[in-house]
Amino acid sequence: MFLERLFNQTNAPELEQMVKFTEARHTLLADNIVNIDTPGYQAKDLSLGGFQEMLGERMDQRDSNTPGATDFSDVMPKATDPNGGVLFHDGQKRSLEQLMSDFSKNALMHNTVIEMLRQQYMMLDMAITEKPE
Amino acid sequence: MFDTLDIGASGLTAQRARMDTIAGNVANIDTFQSNGPGTGPYQRRFVVLNQGTSDDPDGPGVHVQTINVDKSEGRKEYNPSHPFASPDGYVRYPNVDLSMETVNMMEASRAYDADVSMMETTKSMITSSLRILA
Repeated sequence: MFLERLFNQTNAPELEQMVKFTEARHTLLADNIVNIDTPGYQAKDLSLGGFQEMLGERMDQRDSNTPGATDFSDVMPKATDPNGGVLFHDGQKRSLEQLMSDFSKNALMHNTVIEMLRQQYMMLDMAITEKPE
Repeated sequence: MFDTLDIGASGLTAQRARMDTIAGNVANIDTFQSNGPGTGPYQRRFVVLNQGTSDDPDGPGVHVQTINVDKSEGRKEYNPSHPFASPDGYVRYPNVDLSMETVNMMEASRAYDADVSMMETTKSMITSSLRILA
């Protein structure tokens, strides 16, 4: 209980959820890339804007709740058909450049969030052990 | 996250199968008897890809569904002295178009590159996730 409250009062739950989001989006984008030549394939993506909006609302809720009572684990937008790309003869929109760009941005975001999460855990570790890293 | 590497590997396998088929078409561009006497000129093959799902026995990603034979007729040329000329003096060539095969080859090569790049990025993400433990 003590540890749960300790973890939930930092930014760690939001960062953990962001890692989950980037990993889920990573899998969808990877599927879109390998199926770039599959006829009739319906691409799927998770909206970053939608996720950030949902996360922002949950963070506002956390401010008014008791510390550690807000759950972030269900903050995840639904997979939708992405906009953009060139319309091909099979009725599907494809753009490898757009896909690779989204993929790289998502990977960078994942690595940034992981680094922030690591810093949070290091700070907690420092506080617990009373020793600088 | 490790599933994403499997997705990438399925893409590499599919594009390699596509490249093998293209190589077979180009190699047989002058084959007048595809399978013994009287069988007619070689007909080009093409790969049909299919999306894999997570409950698919082959796993998620993309898979080769079939390798189809293109039944369209190749060009006809009048050359009565050709050993495979028909009684009216015409020779039927294989329906392989080198320009089309080259474009398809470039497309498969770019898709293969994209899959490799995707796997590299996935590896960097896994490495970065493992740093939390260190």
